[in-house]
Amino acid sequence: MKKEAKTFVRYTSALILPATLVALVLLVAPLLLLFRYSLNIYSPTDLMIEALTAANYRAAVTDPYYRDVMATTLRVAFVSTLIALAAGFPAAYTLARMGPRWKSALTILTVFPLLVGNVVRAAGWLTLLGNAGVVNAGLQRLGLTAGPVQIIYTEGAVIAGLVTVVLPYMILTLASVIENIAPAVEEAALNLGAPPFTVFRRVIFPLALPGVVAGSALVFILCMNAYATPVLLGGAKFKMMAPAVYDQFVRTSNWPFGAALAFILLAVTLGLTLSGSALLQRRSGPKTA
Amino acid sequence: MTTPIGRRSLIGATAAMTLTRRAKAAGQVVVGTWGGDYGALLDKNIDKPLMAPQGIEVVQDVNNAEPRKTKLTVERKSRRGTMDVACLSDIDLYTMSQLDVWEPVTEQAVPNLAHVPKAYRTPYAIPQIISGKVMLYNPGKMAPPKGFADMWDPANKGKLGLIDIQYLYVIMLANLAKGGPMNDFSAGKKALMELKALEPRIYPSNEEFAVGMKTGEVLFGPMWLARGVFWKKGGINMAAAVPAEGAIAYVSGAGVPKNAPNKENAMAYLNAMLDPRAQVGFAQSMSYAPTVNNAPVPEPLMKEIGFTAAEQANMKYPDFEYLAKNTASLLDFWNKEFKA
Repeated sequence: MKKEAKTFVRYTSALILPATLVALVLLVAPLLLLFRYSLNIYSPTDLMIEALTAANYRAAVTDPYYRDVMATTLRVAFVSTLIALAAGFPAAYTLARMGPRWKSALTILTVFPLLVGNVVRAAGWLTLLGNAGVVNAGLQRLGLTAGPVQIIYTEGAVIAGLVTVVLPYMILTLASVIENIAPAVEEAALNLGAPPFTVFRRVIFPLALPGVVAGSALVFILCMNAYATPVLLGGAKFKMMAPAVYDQFVRTSNWPFGAALAFILLAVTLGLTLSGSALLQRRSGPKTA
Repeated sequence: MTTPIGRRSLIGATAAMTLTRRAKAAGQVVVGTWGGDYGALLDKNIDKPLMAPQGIEVVQDVNNAEPRKTKLTVERKSRRGTMDVACLSDIDLYTMSQLDVWEPVTEQAVPNLAHVPKAYRTPYAIPQIISGKVMLYNPGKMAPPKGFADMWDPANKGKLGLIDIQYLYVIMLANLAKGGPMNDFSAGKKALMELKALEPRIYPSNEEFAVGMKTGEVLFGPMWLARGVFWKKGGINMAAAVPAEGAIAYVSGAGVPKNAPNKENAMAYLNAMLDPRAQVGFAQSMSYAPTVNNAPVPEPLMKEIGFTAAEQANMKYPDFEYLAKNTASLLDFWNKEFKA
């Protein structure tokens, strides 16, 4: 028994070695370097001065502007995740319960939006929803509005844009979990007289909770770190964290402050994702046990 | 307790060093430049017609200005750099000159410099193209603006378009409109806060401003004359008015880093940039005016893209030293106060 366990450990470590190496070289090492930069002092002439100071973090946390940017980022990510969950669950359920022939076709259709890059998609939205775009032209022709309605360059446009980007991830994650819930469990609940909504609330949703947690975490992380959609659909006055980080690196070459902002974003995203997942899983614990 | 960062933080230098080592052997020159139209025009007007006959092959190192500046900053203490020529704006060329990055540019090394008027010359770089910040407007829907000050005319409420990435120049011209000096923008900042009541639209990029002008969403805004001419050619109903306060000069040029591996080729490249044929090519396709006095640009084109003697005399030149020190705080003002 002991020997078997040892062999298992050896195989497992061999299997995860390539991915671990890639992550160490391409993710952990640059992150460590970036963290070191975040403790330096910015200099307009020298790029940065080597130091060990928390000043950049202090400045980012105490500045009301960046607190606002973080609040916007959190709000947009939360709302987009909720909408993606609400819209994605019924679709995922349908997909999971579909016969094999239609299932593959529907899966391809679900993944289809991912084949178009974010930037291209947002550019399409611009021509569709811009003040001189198709939607506004239609509204005015129908006499519904006198002038163009401001659709793009608003928070709503960013949320809508993000939901279209993340919806496939949510649907596929949920569907893979719902597939494993035996239809017999639902039938049993229905046979015992539970109305469909109660079946959903008491049986399907609790059993699908691991998928809800995984899908929401994935989507939330994607939304927190979104760059192209907020830049293109949010316009010049709208700011989320990822574009703010980019601005520091590319517009003013303030690497230390940009690095500090990046780590604050990372910490907040990680903290919320982990605590959110833990909370949801604990709630589901006693019921499913 | 603190020391400036040297080449330790130099990123990707090893790869680039290999590239430049090969470049020297084959008689090449590595030009750090923007991609897109600008890079293509360098290739069409300079690299192929002027450098290739000299047996020098041009390798473009394509990037935006900030990464290029960063590269120059971190490489400046290493013996060998990775670029032979770096194309930058006048402000950036100056900022880098403060770090002692550039090899001096002389008429011996760059003979065509003799045709560059004294006003455009610097000891560290060549000026390649020039334009000025003017007022672009829709002539079908409004009378020509007299100056930058027209932006504050209540009659123009909701008609003004500004461009986010041009923030430095917008603050500068607001300052000029209120009679402020070129080395203290407090008057301009105050004026911009007042301008918010007139609801200017802020477009993320130059191109989106052009779309706003085309659709009539906005009727006027400050922008480079060269861009105005270019957009007009593209079918947008647009005209340019040189502001009473004076157009703000914009010069784009190039310098040779002190540690350039192919210095001779680099100087030959600067010389080719000032060659009348290249200058005419850039005037025709990019609508920027030449920086040399011997480029035979056709008269009607010159009228469109150039400035009269009186306009040139009234032209305003940015205070590079002030900008180099204050860019970060001016961007902060723009983001946190003006756009908030």
